[in-house]
Amino acid sequence: MAWSDIVLDCFKANAIQTLVHIPDTVLTEMIRTAGTDPYFDVLSPTREEEGVGILCGAYLGGRNGALLMQNSGLGNAANILGSLAVPYQIPMLMVISQRGELGEFNTVQVGMGQALRPTLDGLDIQHFTLEREDEVAKIVTGAIKLAFSTDRPVAVIVSPLLSGGKSL
Amino acid sequence: MTDASPRIHRQELARTFVSSLTDQLVVSGIGNACNDVYAAGDRALNFYMRGSMGAGVPIAFGLARARPNDYVICVEGDGSVLMNLGALATVGSYAPQNLAIVILDNGAYQITGGQPTHTAGAVDLAHVARGCGIVSSSTAGTLDEFTSTLDKILDAPGPHVLVARVDRNLSDPKAHQPRRPALIKYRFMGRLGTLEDVNRLAWE
Repeated sequence: MAWSDIVLDCFKANAIQTLVHIPDTVLTEMIRTAGTDPYFDVLSPTREEEGVGILCGAYLGGRNGALLMQNSGLGNAANILGSLAVPYQIPMLMVISQRGELGEFNTVQVGMGQALRPTLDGLDIQHFTLEREDEVAKIVTGAIKLAFSTDRPVAVIVSPLLSGGKSL
Repeated sequence: MTDASPRIHRQELARTFVSSLTDQLVVSGIGNACNDVYAAGDRALNFYMRGSMGAGVPIAFGLARARPNDYVICVEGDGSVLMNLGALATVGSYAPQNLAIVILDNGAYQITGGQPTHTAGAVDLAHVARGCGIVSSSTAGTLDEFTSTLDKILDAPGPHVLVARVDRNLSDPKAHQPRRPALIKYRFMGRLGTLEDVNRLAWE
């Protein structure tokens, strides 16, 4: 089973129903598959910060959700995570594809790629990295439990070691 | 309309707005929107934002999506809406029937010292909303116009945008919404009954 299908299975098994995504090549297959599954409410906002807001609103309304984005999006969403999700104790899972490291060809992806983990650390948001397919289910399930039992956003970072990254 | 067009007394508008509510869910944006809605009559079904300028519309949209049988009203300032105009495009695209956005447009970032916003100049937010596909978008320059449009909106499928041209009267300095974010969340979800939902929905 493809790693992206394993992640979607983990979402379903743990009642993660609202999926908000910002376009990303690495996550394309996951977004496409989720869109064909009536279990998920798949939404496409214009910006990652908007996505965090939508997920917070959905949670207030009783629905758990996840944000799918690439690491540049964390820069767009940093303030709303620090001023809404974290202090209001609103949980969500973030699946973040990693750019700017192994195999990167685009110089401008490196800066935010390098700032990804320090930004999450600065916001006091725990993060875990997916590198091997046989660990995907365990890490994603554990991250979901951590997020939704302690009422905090939690990030799972998709390494190019798992995804193959974005090739030229 | 020009910046010299008539403007509505903001606190009077907030009192009229709150007194017309029944069981709607209200998301109120950072700053004077929160202060005035709170001062006009606090209720557990009000969700108050303490920061995150521009997030009112996305929060209300997510809530409307999760609660299709409830009516959600977002109350935001013009500065906040301008900060996140893309959110109107999302609302127009998904067209939630149970969402109305009331924009308190005073043409200024009043809480930070009254710097003018772009609605004091070239920008008309009702036009922007219409261009985003929110067909039911209008502007009220008097309290009567606001009240009659609000009455229609609350009875008709949305999404709606109602821009209220309000004055720059200062909020009551003592009228501050609850300060603790977690309490705001728990009170809102407790009243709505969704704390049980997220617990039941989790893996347990």
